[in-house]
Amino acid sequence: MTGMTGLSLLGDVRVLDLAGEATAQAGRLLADLGADVVLVEAPRDSPARRRAPLATTPSGDVVSAHFAYTAAGKRSVTVDLANARGQALFRQLVGASDVLLTDAAVGEMEALGLGYEALHAHHPGLVYTSLTPFGLTGPRRRWRGSDLVGWATSGAMPSIGDADRAPLAPGGGLAHTAGALNASMGIVAALMVRDDTGIGQLVDISMQEATMSVAMEVSPMVVLEGGFDQHRTGRRKEGGPLGHYATRDGAVSIVAYMPEHWRILAEWVHEETGVDEILAEEFAGTPVTRSPYSELIDLWIEGLTTRYTKQAFFEEAQRRGITVAPVNSASDVLDDVHLQATAGWTAYEGPGMGTLHVPTPPFHIDGSTATVGDVPALGEHNREVFVGLLGLGDQDLQRLQRDGVI
Amino acid sequence: MSAAPMSELPLAGIRVLELGYGIAAPVAARNLAQFGADVVRVESLRRPDSLRLGGAGWLPPNVDASVRRDTLPALNFSSAEKRSIGLEIDSEDGRAVFDRMVAAVDVVITNMSERALTELRLRYDDLRVLKPDLVHVTLPAFGSEGPYRMYRTWGHNLSAASGVDSLIGWPDREPVQIGFAYPDFVSAQAATVAVLAALRRRKATGQGAHLELWQYAMTLSCLGPAIVAAQLAGRAPSALGNRDADCAPQGVYPARGTERWVAVSVPDDATWDALCRVPGLEHLGSDARFGSLQDRCADHDALDDELAAWTVERTDWEAAAELQSFGVAAAPVLDSWDLVADPQLAARDFFHALPHARFRRDLVFGQAVRLSETPPRAERAAPAFGEHSRDVLRDLAGLDDTAIDALVDAGVVHVMEHDDVALERPYLHWLRKLQRLLPWGTPSFDPATELMHQLADAPEPPE
Repeated sequence: MTGMTGLSLLGDVRVLDLAGEATAQAGRLLADLGADVVLVEAPRDSPARRRAPLATTPSGDVVSAHFAYTAAGKRSVTVDLANARGQALFRQLVGASDVLLTDAAVGEMEALGLGYEALHAHHPGLVYTSLTPFGLTGPRRRWRGSDLVGWATSGAMPSIGDADRAPLAPGGGLAHTAGALNASMGIVAALMVRDDTGIGQLVDISMQEATMSVAMEVSPMVVLEGGFDQHRTGRRKEGGPLGHYATRDGAVSIVAYMPEHWRILAEWVHEETGVDEILAEEFAGTPVTRSPYSELIDLWIEGLTTRYTKQAFFEEAQRRGITVAPVNSASDVLDDVHLQATAGWTAYEGPGMGTLHVPTPPFHIDGSTATVGDVPALGEHNREVFVGLLGLGDQDLQRLQRDGVI
Repeated sequence: MSAAPMSELPLAGIRVLELGYGIAAPVAARNLAQFGADVVRVESLRRPDSLRLGGAGWLPPNVDASVRRDTLPALNFSSAEKRSIGLEIDSEDGRAVFDRMVAAVDVVITNMSERALTELRLRYDDLRVLKPDLVHVTLPAFGSEGPYRMYRTWGHNLSAASGVDSLIGWPDREPVQIGFAYPDFVSAQAATVAVLAALRRRKATGQGAHLELWQYAMTLSCLGPAIVAAQLAGRAPSALGNRDADCAPQGVYPARGTERWVAVSVPDDATWDALCRVPGLEHLGSDARFGSLQDRCADHDALDDELAAWTVERTDWEAAAELQSFGVAAAPVLDSWDLVADPQLAARDFFHALPHARFRRDLVFGQAVRLSETPPRAERAAPAFGEHSRDVLRDLAGLDDTAIDALVDAGVVHVMEHDDVALERPYLHWLRKLQRLLPWGTPSFDPATELMHQLADAPEPPE
């Protein structure tokens, strides 16, 4: 279990990942922890491989960055689930697996004869995991979703953005990620029960609820009691400093919530820019006491921050004990000195994409970190899985291939 | 509450000590409690949880801190289902008790800083001598190695550092901040997965685990696709408002009323065709400007104007329901009030009104992980500070009342003070009235009013 071979906590678990968008990060996380995750893709044109964000490679091909990240470490087989022989093959595959992971809409799997009831009867130990926009029950169970719809129904959006424009959702597919994390928790919890009873169960994740689960600060009572401000104040909260402040080359995020952090910051402003008034007693304490003076405070703070680069300000602020970080882009992080010093990046070859650097998975277990496997070609593991695992003959395989089933 | 489970909960019989601050470790431990573990928060007055520092905004200023610290609503999402002991582990007697508790549990989880873990001797090597098969979990912000390992952060700082904030904003303005602690919550959830997996292994092999979940790395991994896209494109993706590259139209459009909005996503041609069948939007189908996805992306502003002219004539719910009836992904932008009144959440019993030592009952967020045969536990709201100190010392440290009294007298153990002081959140009745103003109340069943009845009229919870 130790050594440089990555993590194998879930080494005994096989996951069938139906290559959905919302569930992609769940399969990836389980693979990081050692599970054998098998993508089940459509034989000829797999939508998972055209999923945004897209990028154009140096050779001019349009490729899916989403797939290049989320499919790493998974195996790929192809099965046409609309075909009766494909469905039979899939049921065989289910019989040899522990977990099914799908974001199919309500009723879609049932229409193929592959719903929970049918598969559970066939393989009672199966953990059947469904991630849908609103869950499998309730009046909105048939509503369609998207990452944006996840955020819209989470309660979080009215607090994000600028007051003079519409509420904003975060980018980057982060609602789907929340759904995937909840699916992952449900899967391992259900496996623990199955270890004892031999019986699997249905894990029913709603994107709405999952997105709420990463935004619980925006709960009705927290908002009511003033613990969370449900107004859009853009880059900063009033009073502060709580938010983004300009530097010479970008912005820093300052959270001077604790009175002690304000005191240190005020003394630093005074020391470098000569502003005496900032030391006044009426500004001391938490941000609430400073909210009538927000504009003045912001001016003074940026008088200091704009003397620095964001990295230099970050390091000096941390040296002084203030909670500050740079506002980084998805490219800036590649140059981060901490990540470079801690093996924070893992490199692998993306098919046709050259070497990709991805964040090293966050799990450090018994001194080991996860290794990240390759991105599979479409159907790369058909033989390995159908012949090696399910025991099909070479002729069966050729016939299935010829008939377009795999 | 859900039907009785057919099987024991996944973590039945598992005991957890949590030394948690704010969100990351407490929320992970709360997940474990909802999955059936007996989770004990070890709380300190010398190093208090930040959520114990404040209190309900409506409390008069003269209310004692010993009552105030039990009243912050955020404690219900961080610590419902747990027990609480007040214990100063940096005293000799307190540490002796703590060590006995460690020997009696299966998991210790904390998000103390790297500095504090060393000072308080709470590292894996310090504790596994007491319990060789311990699952020991920390959640360092930047990691236990590297130049930033001692740096202090809040969730807001980590979301900025990892690139989350850079993807929120309008193309013509600077990015904005996400405003809540996304990194803490996703780290809590990833840690929960790892603890479950480690406990599963322990059951099979008897082996404990030394588990660290690095929060910065976790937040970065959520943005993995964007980071890969940045490398392939040779530049960082920027914030696009509510749009996505390669998807149009997508946005948040004004609905009738003040601050009412509807979100709409049209990712592909099939959905576009569906949108063009919606009464009042049929003309879009023959508009040459919007013929292909590429055209729609190029002329997105004009498309937004067309959609906004349609949505603004309708309420957010009318617009969303009509679009959905044609197969277009859409939803109102809900605020926190709408959540309490949401019939979908009510139909799935998402919110609970659960017993609370100060409030009789309090409003608690449900668990998003739904397991058909072992539904997560929803039995009690957050504990008062030290509410279970005596029980925990009897159960986990094997102490008798005399020994416990001595520790309380010495200030090493704290018990819940003024346990006769019962409070009521003053807005419950107002909230009940407000319900009539909300858009989706039905005469037969109003979920929010139902919840508020449960909160206000419930009998005293059993001892």
